[in-house]
Amino acid sequence: MSQLAPQVGIVLVSHSARLAEGTADLASQVGGGTVTIVAAGGTDDGDLGTSAAKIGHALRRAEAGAGVVVVPDLGSAVLTVRALLGDMPDANVVLVDAPFVEGAVAATVTAAAGADLTSVAKAAEEAWHARKL
Amino acid sequence: MPASSESITLEGDLHARPAGALAVAAGRFAAAVSVTAGARTVDAKSVLGVMGLGATSGQQVTVSADGPDAEEAVSALIAILGDATRVGG
Repeated sequence: MSQLAPQVGIVLVSHSARLAEGTADLASQVGGGTVTIVAAGGTDDGDLGTSAAKIGHALRRAEAGAGVVVVPDLGSAVLTVRALLGDMPDANVVLVDAPFVEGAVAATVTAAAGADLTSVAKAAEEAWHARKL
Repeated sequence: MPASSESITLEGDLHARPAGALAVAAGRFAAAVSVTAGARTVDAKSVLGVMGLGATSGQQVTVSADGPDAEEAVSALIAILGDATRVGG
């Protein structure tokens, strides 16, 4: 498939590096592998927690010109992301309120189809309503 | 607006990867596209909806579309359902 227009990128912010990486792997596989998904999990020392430096680096890697959707795993990850975004007023970034795995998968698939930033963010947030059974 | 619909019998279960392929493809069309399995109908552009169908091997699945490229959307999605569920995933 041709990718003439840049795709929305995805950043997964988790307290656990392994959770972020595993979720990125899963979302990438389901989405067909065309979307840039960057895992930002754990502290700078590799402990459980969040790192503004890791998230900042991930945001820069994920930005291809169409903006970035950030999916946090738990509410406390939101604090780190918000503090960071406060220092990046020009960033085209949407922090979404979504379940972590489902939101990551829905956002990735929607980005892979070429949707814009608003649509990708909406797909992630709509994941709250998706039933498994 | 043109509407189109077609059915296929799945040759394998509709797992995560074929559901993803289906939703990515559906998202590229302007038409509204839905997938029906049994009594449930979901938006084909919603990967979580498609996964939640729980469609299994041997089940008949119907793809319906309504919009300017409805016919192309139905053909593309039926092809994906045929290929992807045969390979598994």
